[in-house]
Amino acid sequence: MAVPTLPGPEAASGPAAPAPRRRPSAAARRRSLLPHLVLWVGVLAALFPFYWSVVMATNTTRDIFSTPPKLVPGTHLLENISNVFARIDFFGALANTAVVAVVTTVLVLTLDSLAAFAFAKFEFPGRRVLFGLLLLLFMLPAQLSLIPQFLIMRELGWIGQIQALVVPALANAFGVFWMRQYMSTSVPDEVLDASRLDGCGFFRQWWHVAVPTARPGLAFLAIYTFVASWNDYVWPLIVLVNPQVQTLQTSLAQLNVAFGTDYSMVMAGALMAIIPIMAAFLFLSRWFVADGTAGAVK
Amino acid sequence: MTLTAPSGAAGPGAAAASAGRGRKKRLIRPARTGGSQQRLGPVYLAITPFFALFGVFVLVPVVFSIWLSFQKYSVLGGIGGSEFVGLRNFEFLVQDATFRRAIVNSLLIWVLGTFPMLAMALVVAAMINSVTKLKSFYRLAYFLPNVTSIVAVTLFFGALFSEQFGLINQALEGLGLSGVPWLTDPWAMKVVVATLITWQWCGYNAILYLAGMQAIPGEVYEAAALDGAGPVRQFWSITLPLLRPVVLFTTVISTITTLQTFTEPQVLFGSNTAVNPNSGGPGQGALTMVLYFYQQAFNNNDYGYGAAIAMGVFAVVLVFVVINFRLARTGDDR
Amino acid sequence: MSLSRRSFLLTAGLLGAAGSSVLTACGSGGTGGAGDGTELAFWYWAGAISDTVVEDVAAATSGATITPSVIGGDFKQKLTTTLSAGQSVPDITGVKGEDIASFLTQADAFLDLNELGAKDIASTFSAAKYAAATTKEGKQIGLPIDLGPTATYYREDSFAAAGLPTDPAAAGEAVATWDGWFDAARKVKAATGAASVRNSTDIFAVALAQQPSTFVDADGTWAGESDAVKKSWDLAVQSHTDGVSGAVFDGTGYNQALAAGTIVGHVGPAWFGLDIASGAPDTSGKWRVTQCPDGPANIGGSFLTLTTTCRNPQVAFEYIKTLLSAENAAKSFTDASVFPATLAAYDLPALTAGQEFYGGQATIEVFGPAAQALPTVYDDPNNAAIAAPYYTELSNVEGGKDATAAWNDAVSAAKQIAQRAGVQ
Repeated sequence: MAVPTLPGPEAASGPAAPAPRRRPSAAARRRSLLPHLVLWVGVLAALFPFYWSVVMATNTTRDIFSTPPKLVPGTHLLENISNVFARIDFFGALANTAVVAVVTTVLVLTLDSLAAFAFAKFEFPGRRVLFGLLLLLFMLPAQLSLIPQFLIMRELGWIGQIQALVVPALANAFGVFWMRQYMSTSVPDEVLDASRLDGCGFFRQWWHVAVPTARPGLAFLAIYTFVASWNDYVWPLIVLVNPQVQTLQTSLAQLNVAFGTDYSMVMAGALMAIIPIMAAFLFLSRWFVADGTAGAVK
Repeated sequence: MTLTAPSGAAGPGAAAASAGRGRKKRLIRPARTGGSQQRLGPVYLAITPFFALFGVFVLVPVVFSIWLSFQKYSVLGGIGGSEFVGLRNFEFLVQDATFRRAIVNSLLIWVLGTFPMLAMALVVAAMINSVTKLKSFYRLAYFLPNVTSIVAVTLFFGALFSEQFGLINQALEGLGLSGVPWLTDPWAMKVVVATLITWQWCGYNAILYLAGMQAIPGEVYEAAALDGAGPVRQFWSITLPLLRPVVLFTTVISTITTLQTFTEPQVLFGSNTAVNPNSGGPGQGALTMVLYFYQQAFNNNDYGYGAAIAMGVFAVVLVFVVINFRLARTGDDR
Repeated sequence: MSLSRRSFLLTAGLLGAAGSSVLTACGSGGTGGAGDGTELAFWYWAGAISDTVVEDVAAATSGATITPSVIGGDFKQKLTTTLSAGQSVPDITGVKGEDIASFLTQADAFLDLNELGAKDIASTFSAAKYAAATTKEGKQIGLPIDLGPTATYYREDSFAAAGLPTDPAAAGEAVATWDGWFDAARKVKAATGAASVRNSTDIFAVALAQQPSTFVDADGTWAGESDAVKKSWDLAVQSHTDGVSGAVFDGTGYNQALAAGTIVGHVGPAWFGLDIASGAPDTSGKWRVTQCPDGPANIGGSFLTLTTTCRNPQVAFEYIKTLLSAENAAKSFTDASVFPATLAAYDLPALTAGQEFYGGQATIEVFGPAAQALPTVYDDPNNAAIAAPYYTELSNVEGGKDATAAWNDAVSAAKQIAQRAGVQ
């Protein structure tokens, strides 16, 4: 199941589409086929570029450029992949990308859910002002900050290093909004009261009550943060000047610029770059479905 | 941080669309006398790390950016080497024909890449909502384009639309039509960028709409069906009106992000001309506002002017977001 | 980084030692200051110089380990970024010919190679090219790798079909002036229907390179509407109106046009031959080169420099000096069509031999004399940025825009860029 279908506990338990009660007539059955037909056209359009990338990555450049073009996968995948390895440090870039995405995601979940829990369930002086500030700055476009952030990185001595990708990404106002919204409805006040009577402090309430109940919300934030971090392009392009330290996105772009004439090789690189993120998504989405349903049943 | 932020911003809207109902909010007040109340120290401790980072990496940059836009900033000279130039950067910006072209390009890409995409997303969502089988499969398949790497996807599309060898032109020629210069004609270039955006975000928005549709109680439809309203009628008179908050939200987010398109034209056309990096391809047909910002700031090293362009981009985006909201409100009055 | 201890523990627990160690271990790139460092980072771009030479010479260098990196994307931007940050700065780096002027204004970021012995080998390089990396104060920030002496490329069969002389010497007479070249190109067009240059901006670039100064005068004043620029512009527009420009702006389209024989000529630098040869290998043997209309000029040609933070200047200088020796420069020519700035290389067999792609013609007979006769020109640091609108508008003209309107738009856009850069 896809991520944003679980905005709150209510949605998952929401009513299903109006189900026909009577036995469907032949006409009705035909009518019910129509949506499938339309949807399948869309599915093919959505998946076709993936298929085509496989075709290109498994053929030679000459095959791709032939007329008529080859329409089925070929046998040159390994050759193309080894050409990629010869030209960029693919695994180094993969490791950097993965580390940045995982560290960013874990830290964002931690910091944002802590702040969100405070905003969702506690009254404290300055609460409204701080939240208003968050809201205001959230609406400003990201590129407004690119130059100053670059200069800040320069002062910190982080140019060309991967912490320059992680740390600024932690100032993620969206995560606080999202988690505040989620926690204020899904974390039950009664349980919080009870845990407070048991002598639990703020952090133990957060860890033992808020985090477990808000897991579907956290899962969405996790996927969102992970994907955004994995796919970030303009910031690494600016800040990762060291050729030894690149992410998948930047090294893929370099592969294209420097060796663009070898199409099938570039396509093999592109294909390899999307496989990990798609695998991660499919993995997380499964876990997510199970969890979301459990939350809804409870 | 990222220019591909729409996925993020989707959250609050989806939440607003369906999570509004339910419990009344109750806040825990600070302790005066102990008991079951909450001490404030840990609460502040909990928000401190986030706000420290937020201050350094969001608040300071915004203020600094405003300062920069009034400077002629020397990249190697640093802050000390910069010079206050008053409104000069903004004077240039107003007269800058290239920036105007970038605005027009961005607006065209916005129109081509947002509205057909959202309309298609609505149809897809309605279709998925109406079927009982394969629901999860459809969701997954339609969402998949969104979790791929944008650089990789742009490379795929560049290959598909390649003029001599691309599959699309070969298919057109196979049908007896003439090929289209997708990557060199200023109009066709925008269509390619818009197609890419549509492909990547259509399913995503459809899933958001679907979430909204599933939150509409089934009884409403049953009542309508009893009154003799068919599926199409139900869609127009029930689904769409009840979906308004989500539609408005996705329109605003799509507007913000599409007007800030960067990666697609940068990867497709960034290196076409060696003398002229990041100029947006032939005839600057795909020079978007953010690409122009990047070129001026990081290719020409003109940080002061870059900051002024960033302000200009913000102003343009703001205008169109406000227009979106206005249109939505006129809809309310009717 | 202000994190609570709890989240730190949580993070550490979740990531495991492996992940975090990668995070902290990364990115200690090439900065330093000591004079006898044992590691040297070297940045260049694909095709700047022979990869084999780079690696072989690095392997043979003692005293330091040299790590070459091929940098993709916008090289100048990457280099400026790292220099301005003072972090991850390479010890040795290439600088493109069109960027050298702007880096001369940032000469503090580079070592004076004269202090390392460049003076003694100055005469081994093309004088005009060597001088392009000298500051007003006489500081030498780079050694020239290669030159781009310009020439006319043509296909023998097309010239024959058009009734033009096919022998390079005689063909050279025919295209000795721009008028002559346009005459010939029109005849080729009439006879074969094919274009004689990739697009109009190629003509613009060559014509500009022939001017003593272009968009900005040596005294720093605006000259974007000068006769020199206008004349170059008019020649470029003429290639469009005469129908002799291929109006092709993308790489794959160009290769296709070469292979299909819809573009059968070019006017451009020596290194452009590689683009033709790799784009259309099947046309091998049909091509020839001869003199450039109105005489040779230089386009492109790069430099090797040492940054101020170079960790071992002595070893680094020896390394670049060896890379540019006559023998290695000749190898770079063979491997990567890099036309040497090292004059002694012109006498080596690699350059004097006839080339198969050019039907056995020894192209050095055209490029060699051209390289010796390059005019000394003034290249303002702001030229590259100011030129951009003219190139853009020329591509618009080929897309159907009125040439006068395009000129006016180019001038007003360029003027503004110049003003922003402080050109009066």
